[in-house]
Amino acid sequence: MKYVNCLLAVLFVVLSATGPALAHKVNLFAYAEGGTIFTESYFPDGRPVAGGKVLVYDSKDNLILEGVTDTEGFFNFEIPKIDDLKIVIDATMGHKNSFTLKKAEVEAGK
Amino acid sequence: MRTKTIAALFMILAAFMILAMNPALAHFGTILPSDDIVTQEDDKTLEVQVKFIHPMEMHYMEMAKPKQFGVLHDGKKTDLIGTLAAAKGKSPDQDQTFTFWIADYQIRRPGDYTFYVEPTPYWEPAEDLFIVHYTKVCVNAFGLEQGWDQHAELETEIIPFTRPYGLWTGNLFTGQVLLKGNPVPFAEVEVEYLNETPGNINIVLPPADPYVTQVVKADVNGVFSYAMPKTGWWGFSALNEADWTLSRDGQEKGVEIGAVYWVRTRDMK
Repeated sequence: MKYVNCLLAVLFVVLSATGPALAHKVNLFAYAEGGTIFTESYFPDGRPVAGGKVLVYDSKDNLILEGVTDTEGFFNFEIPKIDDLKIVIDATMGHKNSFTLKKAEVEAGK
Repeated sequence: MRTKTIAALFMILAAFMILAMNPALAHFGTILPSDDIVTQEDDKTLEVQVKFIHPMEMHYMEMAKPKQFGVLHDGKKTDLIGTLAAAKGKSPDQDQTFTFWIADYQIRRPGDYTFYVEPTPYWEPAEDLFIVHYTKVCVNAFGLEQGWDQHAELETEIIPFTRPYGLWTGNLFTGQVLLKGNPVPFAEVEVEYLNETPGNINIVLPPADPYVTQVVKADVNGVFSYAMPKTGWWGFSALNEADWTLSRDGQEKGVEIGAVYWVRTRDMK
């Protein structure tokens, strides 16, 4: 029972974190070009998310890579896998969002 | 009783006929994107329609290929004139079709995209002048709300003071009318609802002429506001007379230049 409650709590946190339009919502945008995946993380008004944690998951939800955004909100890495890639930006409590780069888009950016 | 009903029907019919014949219908340059807020789940290819219409009546007018069509993004203007393809459209009560223009545009980066058009001058015999409506619309992409207030540097244009997307029905839209980069004091701004808004099931039938086109005046700084009472697309058009003329059949004719801006509202629910 305790285990179920814990799961529900986690689910709740995950759902609320991915919900739209938080007041200081962070965004991550990604594209693949020339073998590299470029990500940029920003607030709606354009300020970069500096020092934000970036987590990259494959289509089976395995964490395959992680990094930290620079002062301009950028974090770039070589294409780790031709797959649907879910890229998560985790700035601070509640400032979290994700962007999915589809397999075809990754493939096209090889 | 029966005579009364017939008389009433006749009067309604007459009212519609007067409405249909009224020459003072407001023309609106129009740019309609297939989406105004692009998220990662959405189709990233926008279909952008460029037309010259009476928005409330849904009437189309023949539109020649525009002189200029492009997009302003991240401070840079990109010419898109080559992407325009001709299409045909009409209102339910028009018995012939008219040319308008369609372009596909692929959104590749976050931020605001302001599409703008400068049409080829349209000759309006009823008003004995040419009409040129410099028209804009803004599309937001991937949560970066930056760029919507930038100038497209058109001869005349409306600069939104209200962020032009994510608007609720009932919101106030505020903008500034510029002519050659300067505010136009007390500019007259015409406002119309686009009855052809996709998904609009309740076509608005104006009870009297003044309901077709709403009119607001700007203040001394060229700033105007209007609260939009229905979900869908709304057009704002500020008209000025150009300080240049165009010749037609050897005669110099005046040119009405309009600054037009389109925004979309959605119901709160």
